[in-house]
Amino acid sequence: MGPGPSKRLPLEFPPTMFGFLKQVGDYTRDAVVASQNIVQGLSVTFDHLRRRPVTVQYPYEKLIPSERYRGRIHYEFDKCIACEVCVRVCPINLPVVDWVMNKATKKKELRNYSIDFGACIFCGNCVEYCPTNCLSMTEEYELATFDRHSLNYDNVALGRLPTSVTSDPAVIALRELVYLPKGVLDPHGVPADRPRAGQLPEEVLASLTKTEES
Amino acid sequence: MAPALNLDLESGFTSLLEAAGLSSGVSHLLWLPLPMLLVLVAAVVGVLVTVWLERKISAAAQQRIGPEYAGALGILQPMADGLKLLFKEDIIPARADGLLFSLGPVLVVVPVILSWLIVPFGQHLLISNVGVGIFLWIALSSIQPIGLLMSGYSSNNKYSLLGGLRAAAQSISYEIPLALAVLAVVMMSNSLSTVDIVDQQSAAGILSWNIWRQPVGFLIFWICALAECERLPFDLPEAEEELVAGYQTEYSGMKFALFYLGSYINLVLSALLVTVLYLGGWGFPIPVETLAGWFGLSVDAPVLQVFTGALGIVMTVLKAYLLVFIAILLRWTVPRVRIDQLLDFGWKFLLPLALVNLLATAALKLLFPAFFGG
Repeated sequence: MGPGPSKRLPLEFPPTMFGFLKQVGDYTRDAVVASQNIVQGLSVTFDHLRRRPVTVQYPYEKLIPSERYRGRIHYEFDKCIACEVCVRVCPINLPVVDWVMNKATKKKELRNYSIDFGACIFCGNCVEYCPTNCLSMTEEYELATFDRHSLNYDNVALGRLPTSVTSDPAVIALRELVYLPKGVLDPHGVPADRPRAGQLPEEVLASLTKTEES
Repeated sequence: MAPALNLDLESGFTSLLEAAGLSSGVSHLLWLPLPMLLVLVAAVVGVLVTVWLERKISAAAQQRIGPEYAGALGILQPMADGLKLLFKEDIIPARADGLLFSLGPVLVVVPVILSWLIVPFGQHLLISNVGVGIFLWIALSSIQPIGLLMSGYSSNNKYSLLGGLRAAAQSISYEIPLALAVLAVVMMSNSLSTVDIVDQQSAAGILSWNIWRQPVGFLIFWICALAECERLPFDLPEAEEELVAGYQTEYSGMKFALFYLGSYINLVLSALLVTVLYLGGWGFPIPVETLAGWFGLSVDAPVLQVFTGALGIVMTVLKAYLLVFIAILLRWTVPRVRIDQLLDFGWKFLLPLALVNLLATAALKLLFPAFFGG
């Protein structure tokens, strides 16, 4: 502290004392603000207790995959011309196209086709570039196996159609949030024929052509 | 305080046996295991309920459902978890110190269960009205860090060692403000006995509870109790993001279950002790004597005695579980603190605050002896 300048009034306290009081005040204010924040946080957590669960009770309930869902790849053997475009566009050249040249007809003869879903990243490039549309993406995503080698699907396995969630009698199919009718947040018990919020692409197209005609 | 609540099961039981021709020593000996067994069962059932509540409330706070298939609303889920742990292989790591490794969980659990000795559920509904009551609990809870340190050290694992050291540091730092907060209450009730502490709060029902006279002490005690139980936001010793599972990392089977059991018994115990120290223990918000007066009943009527005893148990458990609920809600509200923040908070904030609280209580006791237990 030491003696202050002689100009100071006799009633004035040394500055360090005010400093200390200010420190105590700041400290108390910080503590009060912190506890207020904790109470505010508690009220938020408490409010969540009365909200409905948002979880889907898999495997009894399942969400309907969206239209552009990139699931397991479906393959039609008869359409395939063994051009190997799918192999070239694949990031890791994954599809195995097993063909031989038939010398007599001078045509490729496809013997086997397989994709290993243990290595596939489901990017959909093969589906995009297939010239004969023999590849397509399904909504199947339950690919768990006991052995990783059983993920290597041959043309027979690739040709199977997945069970649709909506047609499976053991499963309650639930719509995802964006496919629910306007204002509905809970997918339980929403009738299947109630349209989703907004317009479907074909509806948008229809309205566009109508405006062009007028 | 009217000494009206004299429902005494012990004297009833022993006099019954003495009437049957047994000596008083033998009948006392026959009585002794009964409350111990009862409290042990109560503690374990309390843990099962707490685990179920924890899972259900956590689920609700995160908009999930939680366990629902084991029993109605998943009420048997903790039982299933316990059974699973019971049947799991008991592994002692090859390079671990086997003796210390096995002794650690025991040293953690035994003091916690022993502390139930002093928890009163009614005027005579406790195992032993020890004169040093609450001090015994503080002393017993100091044993716990030794067990934690022991298990952390003997596991021969860096995470376990760090977890054990953190647990010991945390327990020791928060013991002191905890004891000071208790001391303020003890000063007001002129006794260390838990029964006397509750009796002192029972004069005017809810208005005479210690929480109104010791709001700061209540907060300090609750924060420290959470830290002692290693509950979030103070669960650094077992912070899974940093230390896998802290001192529990190498444990499996029943030894892990002992840690698990110990931490939950400790949580329930802390909630019960907050109830005893600050929320009037077994007292109903309106004193039972007043209620009896309204209905024109004598407080000594046997029916009322039984009713009062039952009400005491219900009130104690209800208040304790309200606090458990707050602890669970806090778990999902506040983030974990860092170890330096934790120690700063304990030594630089709680300790001075607890000291100021103690001095203020002493001053207020001298100024207003009528309100602060002269």
